[in-house]
Amino acid sequence: MTTTVSVGGLTVRHRRTTALDAVDLDFATGVHGLLGPNGAGKTSLIRVLATIAAPTAGRVELLGHDMAGHAGRTAVRRRLGYLPQEFGFYPGFTVREFVGYVAWLKEMSGAAAAATVERAVARVGLADRIDTKVRRLSGGMVRRVGIAQAIVNAPDVLLLDEPTAGLDPEQRVDFRALLRELGTTSTVIVSTHLVEDVAAACTEVTLMESGRVAYRGTPAALAELGEAAEAEDIGDNPIERGYATVLRRHRAGAAAGTVAGTEVSR
Amino acid sequence: MTPAWHVTPAQAASYADGSLPELDAWSVDKHLEACTPCAARVSAAAREGAAAPALAAVRTALLATATTQDRATPASARPPRLRRSARLTRWPRASAAGTPGARHTGKRTGAGPGAGAADGPRTAPASARGGGAPVPTAPLGAPRTGPAAVGAAGGRRWGLRGRLAWAAGPALRGPWLVSLLVIVVGAVCAARATGFGGVRPLLLLLAPVLPTLGVAVSYGRHADPMHEIVTSTPSGGLRLLLARTAAVLTVSVPLLTLAGLLLPATAGGPGPAAWLLPGLALTLAALTLGSYIGCRAATGAVATGWLLAVGAPAAAAPGGAPALLPTDALADSLVTVLSGPAAQGCWAAAAAGCAGLLALRRTSFDRLERI
Repeated sequence: MTTTVSVGGLTVRHRRTTALDAVDLDFATGVHGLLGPNGAGKTSLIRVLATIAAPTAGRVELLGHDMAGHAGRTAVRRRLGYLPQEFGFYPGFTVREFVGYVAWLKEMSGAAAAATVERAVARVGLADRIDTKVRRLSGGMVRRVGIAQAIVNAPDVLLLDEPTAGLDPEQRVDFRALLRELGTTSTVIVSTHLVEDVAAACTEVTLMESGRVAYRGTPAALAELGEAAEAEDIGDNPIERGYATVLRRHRAGAAAGTVAGTEVSR
Repeated sequence: MTPAWHVTPAQAASYADGSLPELDAWSVDKHLEACTPCAARVSAAAREGAAAPALAAVRTALLATATTQDRATPASARPPRLRRSARLTRWPRASAAGTPGARHTGKRTGAGPGAGAADGPRTAPASARGGGAPVPTAPLGAPRTGPAAVGAAGGRRWGLRGRLAWAAGPALRGPWLVSLLVIVVGAVCAARATGFGGVRPLLLLLAPVLPTLGVAVSYGRHADPMHEIVTSTPSGGLRLLLARTAAVLTVSVPLLTLAGLLLPATAGGPGPAAWLLPGLALTLAALTLGSYIGCRAATGAVATGWLLAVGAPAAAAPGGAPALLPTDALADSLVTVLSGPAAQGCWAAAAAGCAGLLALRRTSFDRLERI
């Protein structure tokens, strides 16, 4: 598979804290889960990939363009979808206007956009609410409006930061189905706290800890790790046990001063 | 996001019987909105507490009423309402034949807890919608309003009105526009009603900074709630900032110039259009400075600089009786800064210089504003 997203030696520092520490990662078409505790660097990575945060050091390539250049950034932004962890909206906007506004910002042509906006809103199950004001929607619905604006331009690279926050269990099941569908044609990178999202929807999982990559592999391989470590009484299912096992090992490795390498078990 | 703190059993008990101090009770209130386990704990505590008999009585009465109504309502009248509400919140299924996603979903829904109940009425409308076939655009019969609707109605284009509305940005949606109108209408009314000639210098003092303030509330993380999404689009950055600045100028320049014309002139004072070049120069200066320190701080600095440069000499000017507003001194100070080809030439040069620097700094607006 062709690599669509590639970072090398990526380092991000905010004042004195290091959010990402020389991270090397490649992503191809499919759904990629980004797991890790708070402060692991997931949001920093997503923001760099969304071209809105500049890396302190390192190389970022999206869809064959280097993100250091303005022309490359603009070209990639047309083919990018991004759902931030938190976002606001203008008070008077309806769902249709909100998603339409983003379509306009993404330079979609007016002729195609009206239908595309309706399609994106329908895909997140809000067709019935398309002319409702966004401020009248519940938290979970606003989240879905956020997903709709991210997918409105049928992006080649879709970055979702905590998309399932605020969704109820049934909506999450529906959302995962949408993710799998999107992952057949695009590179979807999803950061999440919820291990079960990864297990259900992702083709690959990247586990981050303290700004480094602690593990990469398939969800099944992570679950196998968890099965092997069954003696340890942590987690409710194999993949959670795998997650905890990897984190423990990574922390122990970092404490022992070894270089935290990338464990590949595929 | 799970909060680190949770309600202890002791706190739950005293919260339930009302003996928890007010401050702690507020924390618990807020926490319970988000934390199901703690809500359950507090509910349990309430059921065991002094209110238990009352709660039990209410519950019994409620159940009795519900059962009676259930029997009274004809069976055919109930399910459609349930179905309708379910359909409203349902996501369309990816049920196109052969899609791996669809197969997984079906299995998961069937196996999931409580899915049996949900599956009955809910799957039917989902498939009735066209079973994941592209999109049910036709049933969206609701009347279309707003810019997007203009685009849709226009057929091929976004529509001029729609594009203008969207280029406007947050400034023209918020308090800035209101303040501008208040100042303009207030100035004209005050001058007409009282015949006071000092209003025009005051307006000319404010006029150059008002568009600049509009720019400050147009772009950046302080001003634009959609800043993070906007920045990730190809329109984000300087292009959108300039579009919004243009919108701000389009509204403020005619209004302020017209107001200046309607105000009684002071003898020898600057003309009503004398502020235009300084206004442009200050706006461009704010944009240029904004590429270093963010739009909000830059506008603050530029506006303060202008008000001090013009206002301070007027305030400190030696005069006869100290007036409430030293408008004559202000008019003199404005004449120095605004009147004459030399002064206007300087402002034009400053505007050109800032525009040039801004062009060099154009990519600095590409990233998320952090300041």
